[in-house]
Amino acid sequence: MWLFAALAAVGDTAGAEADRLIVLRMAGGDHLALGELYDRHARLLYSLALRIVRERSDAEDVLQETFSQVWRQADRFEASRGTVVGWLVTVTRSRALDRLRQRRTQREGAADFDRVADSLADQSRALDLQLVTAEQANRVRQALAALPDELRIPLELAYYEGLSQSEIAERLRTPLGTIKTRMRQTLLRLREALAGAMS
Amino acid sequence: MSDALDHDALRELIALHAIGALSGAERSAVESHLATCAECAQELRAFAPVGMALAQIAPQVDPPATLRAAILAAAQPAKTARTTSSIVPWLAAAAMLAITVGMGFYMASLQRRIRALEGDLRAALLRVEDGERRVNVAMRAAADAQTPVSVLTAPDVRRIDLAGQAAAPSASARAFWSRSRGLVITAANLPPLPAGRIYQLWFVARPAPVSAGLLTPDAGGSLTTTLATPADVPNPTALAVTIEPEGGVVSPTGAMYLVGAAQ
Repeated sequence: MWLFAALAAVGDTAGAEADRLIVLRMAGGDHLALGELYDRHARLLYSLALRIVRERSDAEDVLQETFSQVWRQADRFEASRGTVVGWLVTVTRSRALDRLRQRRTQREGAADFDRVADSLADQSRALDLQLVTAEQANRVRQALAALPDELRIPLELAYYEGLSQSEIAERLRTPLGTIKTRMRQTLLRLREALAGAMS
Repeated sequence: MSDALDHDALRELIALHAIGALSGAERSAVESHLATCAECAQELRAFAPVGMALAQIAPQVDPPATLRAAILAAAQPAKTARTTSSIVPWLAAAAMLAITVGMGFYMASLQRRIRALEGDLRAALLRVEDGERRVNVAMRAAADAQTPVSVLTAPDVRRIDLAGQAAAPSASARAFWSRSRGLVITAANLPPLPAGRIYQLWFVARPAPVSAGLLTPDAGGSLTTTLATPADVPNPTALAVTIEPEGGVVSPTGAMYLVGAAQ
């Protein structure tokens, strides 16, 4: 199954430690280390990028930008602040959402300075994210799919399209308060699904 | 708005923050709150796996085989470039330092220049002030000189000779009075004034004498004084000088020293 394949290389603390050593070598200029990091995570990151930007060529660009940034900033990565994979996912999602917003901006002709600032700050904000297990991811996927549209769509707009809550409210023509309540509800459901998988 | 958010409101946002769905003010507010609130930090840890799961549940697709080589190729020169380009920040820092030092010197020289200019300005102001003072003195002197002349040349000038009286038989005086321009009086042989006393000149007129001013002779008993006199003084019959308390009086009280008819 694709999920198991994707998670085969990582998902445990040994994987996180291996990532950390690779980034250390990259910081020292070890070019081979970058290849190893790519081999371990490119599929996960490419899939995430593609889910966001929807076009293969854009997803490839996003991955280029992501690995380029990670290579340049390897010496600034601090393991105490988070995991390598958390960093990679954060950077990939940021670059992909940038691309999405670029398209929107080109279409609507308005730049969003808040977003630009957030995007610039992302490199210092990698959350301490551990990859979840294949089983957990599967449960979350199923839980999300089982949700009614009114709960699932706001979350997807937030995570995969980078829309703010007020933008979502506008897009769905739903009061902002309702959107906030629903998104929190959805996230609580997904958390329960994860917890169920862990127990 | 974000500042007003309290713990409960911020806690509601933690789940969204965990999936990277906050931006701007809300995101900043949550981040600073997380630094001080253990409960919310725990909440964040609880939701973090949801964010990671959302990244992992995207349909998995293999990237094109060529992408790996392209990324490694792009990174290689970048790495070399980094070594080279690492001099750029140093150059920038050096430039900044040079500019800073330069600015420091410039500022110091500006300050010196400002201090010098301030000194010059003060000196110039003093010179101006001095000049003004001199002009005032000169104008006053000119006016002083002008007044007797203008009195003496006035069309309505009257000469009044005053003669010493019993208290000062040898004293004498001559006055030139113009109703419009004032009075000039020259006196001689006036007795020295006792302490606290002064000579006062009077227009002797009806219904009562009118003061024309105070007179202070020099050590030799002489004086020449110009007095501005009231233009509305009643037509005087005479001019008289009395001795009075220092500061003068409204109507004469002391002995008469000089007197002369105005006709």
